[in-house]
Amino acid sequence: MRRLFAGLTVGALLVAASACGSSGGSGKSGKSPSSGSPTTVKVGIIPILDVAPLYLGQEKGFFSRNGLKLSLTPAQGGAAIVPGVVSGQFQFGFSNVTSLMIAQTNGVPVQAIANGVASTGEPGADFGGLAVKKGSPIKSAKDLVGKTVATNTLKNINDTAVRESVRKAGGDASKVKFVELAFDQMPAALAKGQIDAAMAVEPALTTIKSQGGTEIAWPYVDVAEHLTIAMYFSSTQYAQANPAVVKAFQAATAESLAYANTHPDEVRKALTTYTKIPANLLSELTLPQWPAEADRPAIETLEKLGEQDGLFKKTPDLDKLLP
Amino acid sequence: MSGSRDHSRSRSRTNAALGAAGLAGFLALGEAVPRLGLVSEDYFPPTSRIATALGTELGDHAFWTALGDTLTGWAIGLAIAVGAGIVAGVVVSVVPYLRRATASTIEFLRPIPSVALIPLVVLLYGAELRSVLLLVVYASFWQVLVQVLYGIQDVDPVAEETARSYGLGTWARVRHVLWPTALPYVMTGVRLAAAVALVLAVTAELVIGAPGLGARIAVAQTSQAVPDMYALVVATGLLGLLINVGARTVERRALVWHQSVRGEVAL
Repeated sequence: MRRLFAGLTVGALLVAASACGSSGGSGKSGKSPSSGSPTTVKVGIIPILDVAPLYLGQEKGFFSRNGLKLSLTPAQGGAAIVPGVVSGQFQFGFSNVTSLMIAQTNGVPVQAIANGVASTGEPGADFGGLAVKKGSPIKSAKDLVGKTVATNTLKNINDTAVRESVRKAGGDASKVKFVELAFDQMPAALAKGQIDAAMAVEPALTTIKSQGGTEIAWPYVDVAEHLTIAMYFSSTQYAQANPAVVKAFQAATAESLAYANTHPDEVRKALTTYTKIPANLLSELTLPQWPAEADRPAIETLEKLGEQDGLFKKTPDLDKLLP
Repeated sequence: MSGSRDHSRSRSRTNAALGAAGLAGFLALGEAVPRLGLVSEDYFPPTSRIATALGTELGDHAFWTALGDTLTGWAIGLAIAVGAGIVAGVVVSVVPYLRRATASTIEFLRPIPSVALIPLVVLLYGAELRSVLLLVVYASFWQVLVQVLYGIQDVDPVAEETARSYGLGTWARVRHVLWPTALPYVMTGVRLAAAVALVLAVTAELVIGAPGLGARIAVAQTSQAVPDMYALVVATGLLGLLINVGARTVERRALVWHQSVRGEVAL
């Protein structure tokens, strides 16, 4: 799950990608997905929990029914997905919302088209949480002042959310030190005391808890009641040139998300097909929520917090970015 | 590599025994260290658990597909690098002035680590075989090219002049004088390139996510499947070992006539 969320390190790539991104994108224009042979769309994804609905929807035929054939291409993080989408190797990609806003304010032509994944909104039962090791003196987010917290990328959705947790608990968020660490390395770093707390998501979160660690805050829940964390997106050129394909993808994805939400057992089964999460973790981990629609008020809150943290060069234009 | 055949055979047997003992000791250490609690079993599973995970991997169809993907990238990349390296090396050496004209450019391009090109190939090709190929070819091409250049430089001027005075054309001289002299160097280059190509193939898969053993390692890592991850790392190590043994065999076969392989004292 490392580099799940494209960080600022990607910024340079993004700018470069936008410069040379006009070559592809419109290759399959004009083809209607609903008639005749299915249109193959390549989707750049990260092989983690969040994208289970696509695998499930593919298996259930939601995409073929809409005239689409999915080619799910695992990539190592947004660093590979955003340039891939912009240059036309992928028609669609998976990215967290803050990264999409950062991309847009950097002039990268991306457009969110379908909801991806959301927090469960339940403190104590979310798929991402702020955790400390067994016996840690840190009892709440307020105690993190002067401490070191690991997030998978800096200046992105996770440190923004952690800062909000610290503020809500009554602490001074500017005095928390953040370090960048891949999710899968957080349990070991926490156990060895290299970090004081970790903003971890599943399955790393369950690993931490199985070693006696505890959650002290649920930053996604602190940001918004039902925080939209990531979405599927395409390049603006592709979306303009292929409205029919985009519409079909939206319909099939919405159906897949709804199905995943109501069939957690099938989600866990689908996870065994594209991840290697061990059986003991698989049965215990908390699944995220997959609402069919993105939560605009929550994204607006995320935007405000991001601006407060200085993530954006200018104010993101949500009307243009969101479907 | 000199000495009688019997002697070298008994020595190779001793070497094999020592090698096996060393490996056994290493495996035992890998079992003992986590069991004694020196490192956490969660992050460094004992040898036996890695072996079990490796067994499960070997029984998984997807593992063999990943292995096939890695080997495809490796083989195609290596073939292109060797072909291009040999042709470029011969042309640069044979055409007058070309060697000196290209020397500084080659010395500039050669030390660029292939891994540094990853952002570029991601932009160009995304997570596809072509990305892997570009990295593999870039890394292994120089290994071959430089060896070919050295090999051709090593040509005995007397042999070369003799061939000239007997009226051999450029092609005949390349075939009968340059090539036999350069071949041992070329083979060294190919062997080095084979190892480097595997390193880059796995690296590209691991970092970019192109399908193959590297991508499988990354999935195991993000899935918190620690023994599986080690098992896959071991699998890539074994693959490297096989490739090296294979490359040495090819080298020995191709150079049976050469004194370094014949093992006889040169006159």
